[in-house]
Formats: sequence, structure tokens, C-alpha cells
Amino acid sequence: MNLSGQNRYSTDEVVDVVVVGTGAGGGPLLAELAAAGLKVVALEAGPNFDPAGYGFDETLADEIYWTEERLSGGSTPEAFGANNSGTGVGGSTLHWGAFVPRADPRDFRLNTESGEGCDWPIDHAELVPFYDRVEAFIGTSGPTPYPWDEARRFPLPPVLRNGPAQLMASACDRLGITATDAPAAVVSRDFTVDPSVPERKACIHCGFCHQGCRTRAKASMDVTYLPLAVARSAEIRAEARMHGVERDKAGRITAVIYRSGGRDHRQRCAHLILCAGAVETPRLLLHLDLATGSGQVGRNYIGHVATQVWGTFADEVGMNRGYPSSLITEDYTRPEGADFAGGYLVQSLGVEPLTWANSVARGRGLWGPALTDYLRQYNRVAGIGINGETLPCDANVLTLSQETDALGMRKARIDFGYGSNEDRLNAHATKVMREIWEAAGATDIWVLERVAHTLGTCRMGRNPDTSVVDPQGRSHEVENLWICDGSVFPSSLAANPALTIMALSLRTAGAFLKGTR
Amino acid sequence: MIDEPVLFCLHFLGGSAREWRPLSERLGPAARCVAIDLPGFGDAADHPGGDVAAMADHVAARIEAEGPSGPWLIAGNSMGAKVALALARRHEDGDPALAGLAGLVLMAGSPPCPEPMAEERRRAMIAWIDADPETRRREAEAFVSANVGAPLSPEDHARTVEDVLRANPDAWKAWLTGGANEDWRDRIGLLRVPALVVSGAQDGDLGPEAQAALTLPHLARHRHVVAVGAAHLLPLERPDEMAELIRAFLAAPPEEAEAPLLPPAFAALMGSERVNTRLRTTLRERMREPDGPFCLSAEARATLTACLDRVLPQPGPGRIDLARRIDARLASGTGDGWRFVTLPPDAEAYERALCTLDAAARDAHGRAFAALGASEQDALLARAASGDLPERPDGLAPDLMTCWFEEVRGEAVRTFLAHPAGLAAIGFTGIGAGGDEAEALPGYRLTGLNEREPWEQPVLETVGDAR
Repeated sequence: MNLSGQNRYSTDEVVDVVVVGTGAGGGPLLAELAAAGLKVVALEAGPNFDPAGYGFDETLADEIYWTEERLSGGSTPEAFGANNSGTGVGGSTLHWGAFVPRADPRDFRLNTESGEGCDWPIDHAELVPFYDRVEAFIGTSGPTPYPWDEARRFPLPPVLRNGPAQLMASACDRLGITATDAPAAVVSRDFTVDPSVPERKACIHCGFCHQGCRTRAKASMDVTYLPLAVARSAEIRAEARMHGVERDKAGRITAVIYRSGGRDHRQRCAHLILCAGAVETPRLLLHLDLATGSGQVGRNYIGHVATQVWGTFADEVGMNRGYPSSLITEDYTRPEGADFAGGYLVQSLGVEPLTWANSVARGRGLWGPALTDYLRQYNRVAGIGINGETLPCDANVLTLSQETDALGMRKARIDFGYGSNEDRLNAHATKVMREIWEAAGATDIWVLERVAHTLGTCRMGRNPDTSVVDPQGRSHEVENLWICDGSVFPSSLAANPALTIMALSLRTAGAFLKGTR
Repeated sequence: MIDEPVLFCLHFLGGSAREWRPLSERLGPAARCVAIDLPGFGDAADHPGGDVAAMADHVAARIEAEGPSGPWLIAGNSMGAKVALALARRHEDGDPALAGLAGLVLMAGSPPCPEPMAEERRRAMIAWIDADPETRRREAEAFVSANVGAPLSPEDHARTVEDVLRANPDAWKAWLTGGANEDWRDRIGLLRVPALVVSGAQDGDLGPEAQAALTLPHLARHRHVVAVGAAHLLPLERPDEMAELIRAFLAAPPEEAEAPLLPPAFAALMGSERVNTRLRTTLRERMREPDGPFCLSAEARATLTACLDRVLPQPGPGRIDLARRIDARLASGTGDGWRFVTLPPDAEAYERALCTLDAAARDAHGRAFAALGASEQDALLARAASGDLPERPDGLAPDLMTCWFEEVRGEAVRTFLAHPAGLAAIGFTGIGAGGDEAEALPGYRLTGLNEREPWEQPVLETVGDAR
């Protein structure tokens, strides 16, 4: 994005807030705080990209993924890299799928409902106005009316359906399952929302959402909230990697230390808001021994059950074309007769070839001529996948390994495994997806076990002994430290998380302004 | 090993024998260069030029006159390469005067088929060669500049421009309207003579993808080298690198087709305006064989090569050297962002896993893994996958072999599909989603089942069974 004319703050000036991370957690909040007249500086570890320079290539797209090594353990180790965190001004929204279901109201009080998991300390109704604001600003496309949420209105009509979506739609129709165009934070028409945010052209259906959107049709923070923040006098420093803080005798943070251009810089500040995601945020806290008194930092790491079912079709699918997940059903948020708490969403899947082939080779276990032959079926395969509730669990935890990175910081080690609730949910979903794909006419059906997203580790709650931040995002232990990203999630919710993180970001910004002035 | 041969050198359109001076100096005693002015160019500019066969006659006469006592080779740059191919065919057909041909060196060569070239550019080149002196000089300067990846030295540039200006306009036009368009595919057929093919990653129509699609299929024994940062006038741009490549070629000529071919339809898409320059250049550079640094031991590399041939078999002719690319990746220390906590860092995991595999082969069969037959290799890999190979001091524990074998399968396919030949093999058209005009990217208009856009059609048809 264009940062050439942005405001500059001196590192000696005590700015009101340093925000670390410019993704879904940091972006909206940065714009809100700047609009309120605060002096805000955002530190982004990655570069500032020009979207026009993205290459339409999965390997080139490594530049927007967080590819510093993480260690994965537990009974269902999660893949990182391309699968999850991002780097660059915009954070992981540079590569996110822009699939924007809202969280289901029931997911916020799961424990009350089922006795499993935990309730959120906030209510869905409280988030609705923030969802509305986010969607109007980033430009969501989808079907109005939306079958599972009468109140939801999309500012733009749905994006084109692709092959996998057509296959899923006809199968669902046959099986009596409600399915419709996906809610997508991709503009289906040319879109202008604010004079300080450059116009975004309609989606061209290139299919490379996860490799960086060249046309800016996809709502990443660098084409939405961050230009607004800069227009409101925020400063964004790219390639600025935070790794330290200074604190006063009372324990308040007085400055942030970051590495940029090969040397350390010190930005004085009155408040720090960490928005580095559910791996780097707790990693920083553990590294700096910040807010670790309750022993909660790093605990309750959660992902989503993200199993996929694949099949081969008589039709030419060409699944790389179009918005990748252009069909959804929310019929399984509370499946009838389910033997598990919570639920899941189902979406159609088109996947670019490297990602797909990597899944085939690793997850299906194919090798030899069977692998070569199956890869050649690329244009005839299509997938269907879920995003399913994952409950917090003591065994799922982020810790620091003994290995260090280039900055001397210990690498993150993430242990993750399904509990019995996830296993039961997964079995149910796999059966449903198989039925749908059989009804769609798929042959050679196989199941890819998969975990997605990074959540938890600094959960919000009212009790300082069992949570890291309060329901507004403020640290229980360090008075001028706030957290705003997926790490504050107490449980995963069935919905893909980024839209909810953005809504929380606006909400935390409001609470910050109220609570600190 | 080809011992101290003579290298007959044939220049590009508008060039002359002088093109080869820098390379000749650097080759020294490894090969004696005899550079020839083709009819209509250089000191032979009084000649009106001719078709490919006539040029081949001219060169054959010079070779006969030279009468080399030992083996000899022909090097050709661009236009000269097509003449070289024609002479190689005569050699293989038993022409006694050409009996000593031991190899071809084709640099940014014009292929046996009609040369891919935009009609507009062809017409412009035909027009300016007969223009007024001022225009001719301006265009000749532009022509030379457009065909190099980075500016030549002022002397080389000036000499090359002078060569273009002293070319016989009739010979220039004869090539553009005749020789370049001649279809020699059937006549050339498949040549047995070993060939070194060099392409420039910054070249226009005759870059790496065109060579892999249009020239390599005619060569049974070839090595394809991509010169990163160089364009079309390779002997002038990269004399040191070309000399090194030729020396290595003479020391060990290729025994088989080493590099993968590309379907012409995919190469044409790759070269088209639908593909952005960054992607095209990247894809071309991925066709280059990495030259290190590497980190695996020689034994481990050999085992990995054999292992990958079984994990992801490539039908050929020619194949992507996945092991070489993975070894370079391991040495670079970059990764995909995570690893199983139980595995050691990637390079160490590979070395130890490959040691385990090789030791198991020696225990079971008394031979290295790489020396085993396919079914024996497969049986060992199946045991690695199921965690059933015996543990050894320098190796990986059985359950870690299972993890590593998952890693290597993933890395094999990711490396394969980063290469244009891999993407072509699966019929991928996504590279064509848009070129350099960020404000007017075409993307896909059609995204539904059984819908093809006209530009996708040729690529999809070459895959046959897919889409």
C-alpha cells in the first residue's frame, strides 16, 4: 500500500499506542484509534507489498506467509507456513480466504448449552453492530436474504460460483440440504467506501486469493482499514520486528524494542497492543515474561477441525478458477441428534495445484505411479470441507522450544490434538461430506484430515486466574498492555475467525478509548 | 570426453564471426573456435543470403576446407543454431564430409519449426533494414539492446551494431521471410548427436520454454542450461559462463535427454501476454539446474535421487532433477514454516533418513539403495512409510521415518509443480490469469463446470485425459 506520504513519529516521542501486527486484529483498531486523534504507530514484521506485484504463483506467495519455522507436536500436529499466519503490511489477511460467515450466537454460550467447552465473556448481540460496520466497510458479497441469518445484509451480490460450488449445490439440492452462495469479503462489483481508501475493482475470478490478491478485490487490511488509518495520521512501519519492551518500576510498558534494517530501535509509548496472532503474540509474551503470572499464556491453543473430502468427477471442474469457496451450508451448526457439542460449517473447495498436490502426497499418502497419475486428474477433482468447533483443552498448548531463531528468540512449539468432542464432530462431518460428494457423482473419494487457523493462547475472561485478558482485551496483569487478535478466543466458534477478529478489533478499540481517557 | 575439438561457430541474424571472439579467447586450448560468416553477413556481406539449406552448404564447404583431423562440433547462436541442426541431420544421414561431428552447442537457437515471432515485429525489422542511415543506426542500436539482458561492454556493443549495419539487407530479409519460417521438423527428426542447449531467462520468443518445447524434442541426448539474467546474444553476454558450460559438455557429454520437455501449447501460454513478467521469469529460472550450494553427502544425494524416482516417477524423456533442487533448498536453510517437533532440522533429517534407507538396502540386498531394482526400492520405501525399517545409530527412528517420508512426498510434489513441466503435466492454465497490466487483468470470465475459454483450449487439449 502507499505509505509514502504517511505521518512520522519520532521514536523519542511517547506515542499513545504501539500496535504490533497489521492483520485482522491490528488493522481495524489502528484506524479507530487514529480516527479518535491518538498518536499510533504500527509495527509490522513483514514488508510493505504492492499487490500489483503478486505473481499468480504458489511458491512466489511464500513472501506473504510466515515461514519462520514452528515446531508442531501433539496427536494431530498442525501444519503452519502457507496454512496460517502471514507476513507483510496486512498480516494474514494478505493470504486469507476471505470466507466470512458470522459466528453463530449459540457458539458464544456453548458451556451453558452443552456443559462442554466454555462460554465467551461477551454476547453475540454485542458483536452484531461491529459485524455490520466491518462488512459495510470491507465490502462483503453474498446472498441477501441469507438463509441462516435473516438480519444479515450483504452490500454486494454474490461472486460467481465455480465448478466445486456447482457440484455441491446440485448435490445439496438433491439431499434437501440448504446451500447457497458463500459470504465472501471479495467485492463482486467495483467498490468505493471512503475517499481515503482507493477504489477496488471487481473480482476477476483468478482463483489466487491465497496467494495475494493482485486486483485488491479481496478485502485485506492493506486495501481497507490501513489506508484509512494512514489517512487519519497513523504511522505504519514495515519490516519492523518487535522483540522487546522496556518497563518502569510499576511494570508498565514504557517502550517497545524492534529490529529494523539490521539494528534495534526503541519506540516510547504509553500503551502496547499486541495483534501478532495466536502464535507470535503468546511467543512474545513468553519470551518477555509479560503477563505470564497466571500461567495462562500459551494455554488452550485451538485450531479448527478442517477436514476435507475430495473426489473425481466426469465433468471438467477446473477448480483453480473463481472464488475458491463459493458455496456454503450452515445446516450443521447444530446437527440434529449430534453426539457432540457445537457444530460446523461446510464449504465447497477449489484449491491451487501445489497446495492440493501437497495434501494428496502427505495426507492421502500416495506415491509412485498412483501419485503421478492422480496429479494428472487435477482438472477433474473438487473438494468440500468443513470448519468445525474446537474446544479448549489442557493438552493443547504453545510453549517455547530450546531452538532459537535468527533474533535469538526461542521458536514456538505448538502441541495440538483433538479431544473426543472433535473426534465425534469430525466423524459426523466426514459422513455428511461423503454423502454430499457421492450425491454429486464423485468417484475415488478420499478424506484429508486437516487442522486450520491459530486461536487461543491468551484467552479473554473475567477471572484473572483462568484468562490472560479481560473481556475488552486488556491484560489482567500489565495495566497498559492489550491484546487484539485470535489469541483472545476462549473457544474456536464454528465460523472462520477473521471477520470476528475484525469485529472484536473495533470493539476493543472502543473499549480502549473509553477505558484510557 | 571430447578431446580438443574444433568448434565451428555460427552467428545470429545480423551478427558475424566476430561475435565469437570473447568466447574463443576464454575457451583457450579446450576447443579451437573457427567462426564462420554466414552468407550475407560479416565479411560475406556481398552475398545476398539464402535459405537454411544454402547456409548449411556454405558451412559444410568451410568445414571440409578446414579438414579437422579430430572431432569437431558446431555452435550456433539463434539463426546459426538452425543451420547447425540441418548440418547435424546431414551428418547422421551419413554425409562423409561431416563424419567427425561430435556435438552441438545451441545458444538461444532458432528451432526446427517456423520461429515463433510476432508478425508486427517481423514486418518492422524488414522495413527498417532498408531505411535511411540514421533510422538504420537507431534501429540497429535498439535491436542489439533489446537482445541482451544487461548492456554489453561499449566495445562489444559498438562492434555488434556495426555488424548489423554491414549485413546485406537481402540476406536479412531472406532469413526473416524465408529461413526463419522454414519447417525442418520432419527433416531434423530426432538427432542422436549430444547437444548442449542454452537459453536466456530474459530472452523473448526463444527463451527457456521455447527451447524446451521446440528444440529439445529433436535431441535424444541433451542438456538444457538456463542462463539467468541473460537474453539472446549469449556468446557476447556470457562468454565466461558459455566457456565453462562447453568445457563441462566436452568432459561429459549427455548420454540421454536430461531436461524435461514442455508441450508447445504450455510454452506458448507461458510466453504470452496473459502471463506476467515476474511469473514468466520465475518459471524460467526454475528450469535452471541449481548449482549449489548443496548440503547432502554424495551418498545421500544418490539415494534421494533414486527415492524420488520412485516417489514421483516422471515418464520422460528428460525429467526435473528434484533431488538437486531439494538439496539446494536444504542448503539454503529456508523452509515451509514448520516441521514435526519430533524430527531434527530438515537437512539433518534428510541426511539421516537417507542413511537409514541406504543401510536397510545394504542389509537386505548387499547393494546401495540407488543400485537396487524398482521393486526392491519400492519395498523398502513401503517399509519406511509404515515405520518398519530397523533403527541405526546415524539414522532416524522407525516412527520418524514415517514422518520424514511424508515430508519428502510433500516436498517432491511441491518442487515438481513449481516447475513449468509439472504445471503443464497437470494441464494448469492458472498462470494465464493476467499479465503486467495490473489495472486490466483478464482473470477468468468462465468459472463453471465444463466451461473453457479459447485461450485455455490448447493447453487443456495437450493434457488429453484431464479437463
